[in-house]
Amino acid sequence: MSQDHAPGAHHPRPAADAELRARALEALLVSKGLVATDAVDAVIELYEHEVGPHNGARVVARAWVDPAYRERLLADGTSAVTELGIAGAEGDNLVAVANTPTVHNVIVCTLCSCYPWPLLGLPPAWYKSLPYRARVVAEPRAVLGEFGLELPDDVEVRVWDSSAEVRYLVVPQRPAGTEGWDEQRLATLVTRDCMVGTAVPRVPAAAAP
Amino acid sequence: MDGAHDLGGMHGFGAVVTPGSDAPYHDRWEARVFALHLLVGVEGLTGRPGGRATREQMPPAEYLAASYYERWLWSAERGLERKGTIRPGEVERMMERLAGGEPEPARVDRAQARRAVAELRRGEPAEPAGAARFAPGDRVRVRRMRPAGHTRCPRYVRGVVGVVERVHFADRLPDLAVYGERPAPEPVYAVRFRSEDLWGEGREPPWTVSVDLWESYLEAPGAGRPAEEGVR
Repeated sequence: MSQDHAPGAHHPRPAADAELRARALEALLVSKGLVATDAVDAVIELYEHEVGPHNGARVVARAWVDPAYRERLLADGTSAVTELGIAGAEGDNLVAVANTPTVHNVIVCTLCSCYPWPLLGLPPAWYKSLPYRARVVAEPRAVLGEFGLELPDDVEVRVWDSSAEVRYLVVPQRPAGTEGWDEQRLATLVTRDCMVGTAVPRVPAAAAP
Repeated sequence: MDGAHDLGGMHGFGAVVTPGSDAPYHDRWEARVFALHLLVGVEGLTGRPGGRATREQMPPAEYLAASYYERWLWSAERGLERKGTIRPGEVERMMERLAGGEPEPARVDRAQARRAVAELRRGEPAEPAGAARFAPGDRVRVRRMRPAGHTRCPRYVRGVVGVVERVHFADRLPDLAVYGERPAPEPVYAVRFRSEDLWGEGREPPWTVSVDLWESYLEAPGAGRPAEEGVR
């Protein structure tokens, strides 16, 4: 059942004239000769095709197969991802936090929507939504449960609120059953949500030996 | 400012996971507003205090009712007005022209496109922290405050004691820097709070929340006025 109409659900959809207003603002700036339509296209392209969670997945897969890289990543995230050619706006002060059998990390920005763009691309709507920003610091397990993630009671949940210019990346645990997998294959298990902390990597049943 | 954007701990917003919530945006215009906002920033067409602090100035009822990219559209317009790039009323007049069937203008400027993408690909790491008042393991209390302007100190940690987890780097206090002031860079810390200290006893097993806080937001836990003895 759709939860859109559940009591208290709060996911405002754009007002009818927002689209017209947005088109008008761009048209105004273009007609003034200040903005080029192809420059707007180029910025969209950058985040739709070049920058995305595949970057973060490469970093995590490398950390899984290379203990020295993992150590560098946890000590200085920014330098470690730069080694793999990853850099850019909203990723210049990166802190990687590792999940362990006793610690599970999850990231949020309660004040706005800070997110490590160069590693994960643009955040999904739920990450920027009022309920996620309000609730994950105050009832993290209830929120993770909505994503289908149930953690044992003895696992400590650590929430990271990105309130300064630090951007966080969760390094999930390498799942059992992936012995002998190469980096590229491992990277396919590392979804965006695994690196935000609202999911953990799972080996598809078909891939199990 | 203590606006509607400071959401940590609020009730009543419903479910996080809803149909369609997995996508970064729903409609093309939202992607264009996102890109346009970055572009006018890179091109220096907007005035202070920047998109993030400007969105916080939205009247609370409007902020909560708006969709994410409507808030970006609002802050783009305000920033452009503050720089004098556009004048109030110009957007509305263009809306009427487009609604009347006038075609949208196109303009190609490959240099601008290259400039914008190069700027977004460029990282600018902060400078390392120099002398820091607190060290990892120190207990600190977040100051009580009610700043009228921009701040990055969320309400839900004010007055609460936590433990310094990391000293990240040095950065200018955003409360001043977003308005163009140049305070000396100061240490920024990750401070870890226990859920019981933030929210009291809850239904979930205890957890922690780490918040990144500038040194100006923090004091030694013993500091400040002792509790009033006469309070009953």
